[in-house]
Amino acid sequence: MRILYIDTSSSYLYAGIVENERLLCEVKKEFGHSLSEEALPEISKLFTQSNLAPKDIEKIIVVDGPGSFTGIRIGITIAKVYAWSLNIPITSISALEAMNISNTSQTIRVPIIDARRGYVFGAAYSVDNQVIVEPCHIKLTDLLAKLSTNEYTVITNDEFEIENNIEAYEPNILKIVSYYKNKKSMNPHLVNPKYLKLTEAEENKLL
Amino acid sequence: MKDMYILGIESSCDETSVSIVKNGTEEVATVISSQIDIHKDYGGVVPEIASRHHVKNITIVLEECLNQANMSMNDIDAIAITYGPGLIGSLLIGLEAAKTLSFIYNKPLIPVHHIAGHIYANSLVKELNFPLLALVVSGGHTEIIEMTKHYQFNKLGGTLDDAIGECYDKVARVINLEYPGGPKLDKMAVIGNKTYKLPIPLKDESYNFSFSGLKSAVINLAHNEEQRGKELNKEDLAASFQSVAIESIIAKVKKAIVDKNIKNVIVAGGVAANNGLRQAMKELTEELHVELSIPPMKYCTDNATMIAAAGYYAYLDGRRADLTLNSKSQDKLI
Repeated sequence: MRILYIDTSSSYLYAGIVENERLLCEVKKEFGHSLSEEALPEISKLFTQSNLAPKDIEKIIVVDGPGSFTGIRIGITIAKVYAWSLNIPITSISALEAMNISNTSQTIRVPIIDARRGYVFGAAYSVDNQVIVEPCHIKLTDLLAKLSTNEYTVITNDEFEIENNIEAYEPNILKIVSYYKNKKSMNPHLVNPKYLKLTEAEENKLL
Repeated sequence: MKDMYILGIESSCDETSVSIVKNGTEEVATVISSQIDIHKDYGGVVPEIASRHHVKNITIVLEECLNQANMSMNDIDAIAITYGPGLIGSLLIGLEAAKTLSFIYNKPLIPVHHIAGHIYANSLVKELNFPLLALVVSGGHTEIIEMTKHYQFNKLGGTLDDAIGECYDKVARVINLEYPGGPKLDKMAVIGNKTYKLPIPLKDESYNFSFSGLKSAVINLAHNEEQRGKELNKEDLAASFQSVAIESIIAKVKKAIVDKNIKNVIVAGGVAANNGLRQAMKELTEELHVELSIPPMKYCTDNATMIAAAGYYAYLDGRRADLTLNSKSQDKLI
């Protein structure tokens, strides 16, 4: 089975094609503001490198957030239009799940993404990948307080002042795809970003 | 030449729209998903909320349009996309969708400027007659454009500050009309009398407009009346405002028609629905003996039909984009 993986939720593009437990090709590139300009050209290069056509893909796994709102939408739009138009099975996973699966430390794993003003998008997983804290928008101190132990590894590519073990996030696309390849497919119309946060206008309205 | 079917995608503000147009003139199918009811609660379009709805809607609108046309992507010859101007987060959804389809089906990608779309809405009704003058009036634009042939745009002038539609909505807010208040203001103006004195904006020899001064004058007037304990006559204020706003537009259009020896005048954009403006343009073009075209209402507001129509002429002009095409919140029409 050939699977296309797309993650544009951070300032990096992570994408790759996996065929039967083998990584055919991948791209990991920092983009910042030109993500919209370069995401599709980079993804199209994967097809040239692997000598595949778009219709050769049999499943798409896309990261649905949390992270950069605009970034998430770029990857989701590409993935859902792709899956819808060619009728290819699609499923979405959290960026925090991808961070957890890629990490190898033998402790509780706490992937976090800076959400500013003292908040993070974060979650916690056990060594055997069971969810301890679901992905959420939370104060970092509150997230860590939910863990009943000091034995944990924080996974992040953002700057935090934490005393515990911190490890950088280096996505292992083969591992992520292998772990989630059998996750139930969704109707592409319903593959949408999970921002984990309302817009400011909606928050102000609730005040 | 073989028939050409162009799929247009438009997502520059708060409408997600997809359309298929044959040979730039014949509408095959159009779907528009409007978010107007969502943004009404906020008194205007909230960009992040608009973007969130575009991404939810995009494949549904695409599917609905192809279904209505009874066509598949394989029947489409090229994809036309609004690359700008507009809200950047909104534009990006349509752009990524268009680029993805262009990549998957290996179809030409045609970049279309939103204003070119508004102008070419007219080609869905009748053939354009050059030299032509386009008055583009909407919530985001107030521009006078001269065209001597297809897909050749020469901007003569535009607003130096607020767009006319924006000014209408802001004045409507002063008299407590619900967003979008512009069309309601237009209706009230018919009932009222021009009793309030307001300044005619930017009376000069240029083709430019300025509406922020007029907007401030209305706000000050409302404030002064309130301080004097006088009740504001809303209908009269609407009539007074509308008369001055339209007078300033007509003066500039008249000058351009005469200076440039124009044969055909086009009114495009959401404010083309304004009755006061329609009437004044009709009188002006009759007086000067030039042809007037105003597209039907459904083509005045944002839609992908006009983008697909413009895309056809852009295609004939040799315009193409590759997968590096990016959205631009601001870009000159050239």
